[in-house]
Amino acid sequence: MTTTTKGITALLAAGLVTGLAATALAGEIRIGVTMRMVSENGQKYGQMVVDEFDMINKAGGINGHTLDVTLLNDECKSDKGVANANKLIFQEKIHLLVGSTCSSVSLPIVDVTAKTKVPQIIPHSTNEKITQKGSAWVFRVPVSGRYYAGVNAKYVGENIGKKIAYLCAADAASQNDCEAMQAQMKSQFGAEAAYVAQVQEKEVDFRTHMQKIKSAGVDGIMIAALAETMARALVQSYEAGIPASVNRIGSSSASNSPVPAIAGDAAKGVFFTAAYAAADDRPIARLFNEMVRQRYGIHAPDHDFSQAYDLVRIVEIALGNADLKLDSANLAADRTAIRDAIANVKGYQGLASGPISFCAEATPQCRDGNRTAVLIAYTKGGKDYVTEVLARVTMPVDFGLK
Amino acid sequence: MNLLLAPFRGLVDFFQALARIHRIVPWLVAYVFLLPLPEILSATGNDYYIYLTNRILIFILLSVGLNIVKGFCGQVTVGHIGLYAIGAVTSSLLAINYGWPFWAAMPAAVVVTGLAGIIIGLPSVRLEGAYLALATLGLGESVRIMIAVTPALGSSTGIMLIPPPQVGSFVFDDFQKYYYLVMTAAMIGIYLSFSILRSATGRAFMAIREDVIAASVHGINVPANKLLAFVISALYAGAAGALFAHMPPGFIHHNNFTIIEMVTLLLMVVMGGIGHIWGGVIGAIIVYIIYDNTLEFYHIQPLTFGLIMVLLVVFMPQGIGGVIDRYLVTKRFVKLREEKSDGAA
Repeated sequence: MTTTTKGITALLAAGLVTGLAATALAGEIRIGVTMRMVSENGQKYGQMVVDEFDMINKAGGINGHTLDVTLLNDECKSDKGVANANKLIFQEKIHLLVGSTCSSVSLPIVDVTAKTKVPQIIPHSTNEKITQKGSAWVFRVPVSGRYYAGVNAKYVGENIGKKIAYLCAADAASQNDCEAMQAQMKSQFGAEAAYVAQVQEKEVDFRTHMQKIKSAGVDGIMIAALAETMARALVQSYEAGIPASVNRIGSSSASNSPVPAIAGDAAKGVFFTAAYAAADDRPIARLFNEMVRQRYGIHAPDHDFSQAYDLVRIVEIALGNADLKLDSANLAADRTAIRDAIANVKGYQGLASGPISFCAEATPQCRDGNRTAVLIAYTKGGKDYVTEVLARVTMPVDFGLK
Repeated sequence: MNLLLAPFRGLVDFFQALARIHRIVPWLVAYVFLLPLPEILSATGNDYYIYLTNRILIFILLSVGLNIVKGFCGQVTVGHIGLYAIGAVTSSLLAINYGWPFWAAMPAAVVVTGLAGIIIGLPSVRLEGAYLALATLGLGESVRIMIAVTPALGSSTGIMLIPPPQVGSFVFDDFQKYYYLVMTAAMIGIYLSFSILRSATGRAFMAIREDVIAASVHGINVPANKLLAFVISALYAGAAGALFAHMPPGFIHHNNFTIIEMVTLLLMVVMGGIGHIWGGVIGAIIVYIIYDNTLEFYHIQPLTFGLIMVLLVVFMPQGIGGVIDRYLVTKRFVKLREEKSDGAA
């Protein structure tokens, strides 16, 4: 056998194996997940999604169909997220895409799923532009940044004061939170920012900013940053001598457990808006807290855990209602059926502080499913942190839209 | 090695025969051979391979460019990814803010990146080795930080809706169409790289790499040639950046240009073989395929890449290109010896 013949034979064999594998996959509902699997918590969120889908399989699947879940790490990088989405869509032939964690990754993936007509459900990204792109294929489980800003600003303006300093980290979600909060303070109370500083996504030294903020004599400091960065800024705000009477306001990532764990006592009194409060006393929340504690060793789960859990439940409901053929000839039809089934999820009551509802139109009003933000404050920092719920606010559906 | 290269021996002979007609003929034939690749890949039922090929081709352009300054000229640069970012951002902004078509935005981005290459290259006039690496690292990283904190450059949200290239009504808006663009660019890039290597400039670069003082004594303008190497390398990075930015879905973010991407690029060049043009090509293909096939093992992926880098430096410092070179030299030596012994007999 010549070298060329050997090569052709090997190619044919590979093609046959691929074909057989594709046939074997028929009948399964294929779900692709792309998330930021780089930090300890990030890996646990992704693992929770996989574990929960696995539990569904162990319980007999959905309408007799098992779920085949592929989890990929996008490292919070848009090019890798897009590559993952393409791999999952074209290679794994997924029926549904879950992802991503980061807004800057979810944003370009929305274009990929819109073009390939694959339903995408977002577990964590809050940037308001995601649903404003007008894709008929995207659904968002978390509360949009536009709602968070409204709730935060209302509470701050009415209870704290109007002279606010802003430290905004350079990640998409924090920037969005920071800009939206400033816009809301201006529109609701006519308050201009007392101090604004852009900082790096993983900035470590905030002392110069803190000294300037201290001399500005502000009523509050909003720190919009990812968890570890926010924790460092909180600690340094006290090191700079800014008294506890100046309120510390966190962006939505203040909900993440590394914030109180790293910031320690500096976390006490920090308040923020989130989609879930571990201090929630509903039985479902108590059970969930206990499950996360046992399974992932987290003292009190943040809203990224609850959103991952809620997402799986919503997908479970939608897949249960979708009429799926699950063969290669009907892949496009199955994807459309899943999209329509998710759009039909109304009034889902899970861990989120309010009901989650979607509808068919490709608008933010229809695709930002959760409109209820809960205002939470840390009453104790450290690893055994404690939170309390200050308020729960459901925003009007059009809020924050221009 | 004989076994490894056996399937390609016929192919190499074929292309060598074509090169005797004219230097460009084998390239044109290779180009024609590569044209139907998207259709062949599409026939496997997995269009992701085409996307993967496009990504690899962009990395090939980048690593071949990096090889010019690092491999040919021996300058340690860790700022190449910053130049790639400049190319991407410039082309995107010209297309979005000023409505420039890709065909104007890309050359403009290449020129701007070339100018930036002078800045990145300036430290090479006075610095060498680790110091130059640190200086270029700082410059490259400062580009990324500047993008990250400047709203006009995309800031934290990134630059969205970058239009795909277009010729009349033909829009390069999917993987298949985009392939023809990146494949053409990569082929031109590799061809030019060979041309530079064969030219007086290429020889001057290599003389500087081997011994700066000796090169200087022989009348080579060392600072000017070092800068030229940086500029040529930057032109490649600018072209790769523009191609990356306009590739659907047309989105770039400062996180695409971190030190991790730079290390990955270095790995491609080191694995392929520093100073070997085909090394950059082979390295880009192998590293990207390894990366893609270890995606699901994200827990150990960085460790795997780190280990490969360490093992390469220890056991194969010249990379795959070096191994092939050694094989070819040995083969030539054996052939010469046989000819001599035949003559003696």
